[in-house]
Formats: sequence, C-alpha cells, structure tokens
Amino acid sequence: MSETAGPGGAERTFALPDLGEGLVEATVLEWLVRAGEHIERNQPLVELETSKSAVEIPSPHSGTVARLHAAEGEVLAVGAALVTFEVEASAGIVGTVPTEERPTRRVRLRPPSE
Amino acid sequence: MTELATTPASADATASEHSMQQAINAALRTLLAEDPATLVFGEDVGRLGGVFRVTDGLQAEFGDQRVFDTPLAESGIVGLAVGLAMNGWRPVPELQFDGFAYPAVDQIVNQVARMHYRSRGAAPMPITLRLPSFGGIQAPEHHGESLEALFAHVPGLKVCSPSDPADAYRLLLQSVRADDPVVYLEPKARYWNRSPGALTEPDLPIGASRVVREGRHATLVAWGAMVHHCLRVAEFAAEDGVELEVLDLRWLKPIDTAGLTASVRRTGRVVVVHEAPLTAGLGGEIAALVQEHAFRDLRAPVQRVTGFDVPYPAGPLEPQYLPNADRVLLAVQRTLEF
Repeated sequence: MSETAGPGGAERTFALPDLGEGLVEATVLEWLVRAGEHIERNQPLVELETSKSAVEIPSPHSGTVARLHAAEGEVLAVGAALVTFEVEASAGIVGTVPTEERPTRRVRLRPPSE
Repeated sequence: MTELATTPASADATASEHSMQQAINAALRTLLAEDPATLVFGEDVGRLGGVFRVTDGLQAEFGDQRVFDTPLAESGIVGLAVGLAMNGWRPVPELQFDGFAYPAVDQIVNQVARMHYRSRGAAPMPITLRLPSFGGIQAPEHHGESLEALFAHVPGLKVCSPSDPADAYRLLLQSVRADDPVVYLEPKARYWNRSPGALTEPDLPIGASRVVREGRHATLVAWGAMVHHCLRVAEFAAEDGVELEVLDLRWLKPIDTAGLTASVRRTGRVVVVHEAPLTAGLGGEIAALVQEHAFRDLRAPVQRVTGFDVPYPAGPLEPQYLPNADRVLLAVQRTLEF
C-alpha cells in the first residue's frame, strides 16, 4: 500500500493482492463502488475472477474512492494498482472511529425497596 | 464510522465545541506558547502531526527545534526526556501507543519516576508522557492496552486520564505545568467525539475526581472512555427507576479518596468499571480504599466490572472483552440485592 500524505488527508493506493495458490492475475468482474463514493472498511469493493474462482475483495479502509484503476473486464497483474482512496487525515491512521450508536441492553434493574 | 472531526489545526480554545483530539492539540499549543522550555517530541508527531492528528500543525507553528520527530525507539524517547529535564527543559514526549510503552518501562520506572528522589531534589522530572491508551477502536495487538495500574504502582509517577475534551485540556495543562512526572493516558476511543465546553484553565487540584452525574442508589467509578459508557448505563438504570451516580476519577494516582468516600456516603454502593484486566487492576485498589474509609457506609460489597485476564483481544472481539452495559447493570443489581 503506498501513501502520499497531504495537508488535509492522504491518498492511499491499494494494489491487487496475492489471491493465493500462485495466481498472478485476476479479471475485474464488477466494481461494487464508484469514484467519489464514501466507503467503510471491509465494505465489498470489487468482484474479481481468477482462474480458480470469483472472489469479492473487501475495502482495506474507510475513505472516499478517488480513482478506480481498471475497467470491468480488464485483466490486472498481482501488485498492480487497483483503487486509490482518499482517507481522512483526522481519523488517524490506526484503528477505526467508534460508532456513536446507543448501546443495547437486556438486563433490567429492580430498584431497591427503601 | 460516524462523525469525523475537522483538522485539529483549526481548534480554537474559545470555541464551544471540540473533539478530544482538538482539545489536546489546543492544550499543547497553549503550553508551547507559554513556556519556551516546553518540547513536544515522539514518533511522527512533527511532520505528520501524529497518527491521531493530535500534534497537527504544532511543528509548523513552533518549529522543528521544539516539536520534532524521533526514531522509532521508545526507550530512547523517554531517555531523551530524562536528559532534557535534567537540563531545564519541560518535555512532553508522546509514545505512539500504549503497547509501545513497554520498551520504555526501564526509562520510565528506573529514571523518570525516581530521578527526583535519587538526586535529593536536585533533578526534578517535569515530564508529561502522553500515551494514547485503552481499546475500543478495533486496532491491532499492542494498540489497546490499559497501563494505569502498572504506572500507578510505580512510586514517583502521577497518572491521569481525561474523559472528555474540556477536561483533557485542563488535565494536560495541569500535568505539564507540574514539576513531577505525569503519565497522561488519552482514551483513543474518545478522540473523535465532540462535546460542548470551552477550553479553560484547570479548576480542580491535582488528584481531584468529579461527579459527572448525581444519583443516590449506587456509584459507578470510572475513568477514560469508561466514563462515557457509564453515563449511558446510568441512562438505562434511570429508565428502571435506579439513580446511578457516575464518578470520573480523572487521577489514577493519586486517587481521590475523599471524593470517592463522599460519593459512597451518598449511595452506599460502588461498582468500579475499567477496561484493564481484573486481577491487580485499579478496581482492587479502589475497593480497598472504599472499605478502609467508608466501611460503615457500604450496603454491599464493592463490585468490579473489568476486562478479562487475557491479552487484549483482536478488534472483532472487543465487544466481548470491554465491559458492556449488561455486565455493568448486573453488577449494579448485585449491589442492590445484597
């Protein structure tokens, strides 16, 4: 993953990962995100087809999709640029920003008899 | 991912709402401006502005002689702070993550904590060690540790942890201005949450706790990110007709025995909530203080709701490890039924 730090954020390019079993390339079947779209970490990013199977690749981080580096149907070599993100500088580099959803509970209290 | 803070460089001490990132950034800016002996350094704190953007813009404003990057060597970072402190500087080093304090424990325990004592007062250590701490952000191993009990156990160190932006500002000013070494534990999970409250000068003495919600049935004692969690548990309890008091301990050494005792006198029941593992965690120390000083006020044994005695788990397991609302409520129920 390459990173270019900018004043307000950083661009990160995610390269086609090694999909295992010595596969050296994959075909982009379908993009599941568009340029300009804000996506969450682990959100499905793209569907790829190798000579073994079709696999869905999850996003390695949250951010805005800046550029897709291959068209659907195009064959990419492992290590070639797949997608470039703009990641929010303010979110920090490690970990995720916790959600502010109200927690749930099952336990109900019985007030003390005073 | 929910709200994202604007860049801390835009933090303005007079604005009414800040994230903790911005508040700590503003505190460092205040401290660097008021005392030319203050130095900020650590891994990536300079050019990058910190992995959590907490030191964003400080190097541009105060120069690379006062805000600078160090090699990736925590023992060296703290050792540098010791030498600088001995030569009249006021170092505010950052160790990038809790788990990376371990390589620096030798310097922290053997030098920082006892140099003042060893030198018979000739070499005070006005060092504030900033340590992004605790879990809750689904980070990898070594990025979710709770070290308060470890450092509170070391004679010579003070330890504090803020729970909200305005208090983060006050506690950092107080820690850095103090001539004693302070370990300042920043709850990473709260970095991004914005809350109202102007950034103001410290208004409580070192070692003071504060009641952040009043109640009469039981006291939840917490610090760091667990304070916010306990406030939400108190809302659940209120739905059930149980009024929980929430005590933000703030200082983990010294512990505010008077504040703790005063709360126990009001409620008679105590549940300590911390992320750190149970055994030899600060919950045990707090329970001991309560029974020593408020034994006759207690209506039930002090309960502890904590992390487990396991290494801090990988991200997806965090919700199983961290004290959830049900675990806290069950402990409250145990005190109510005793």
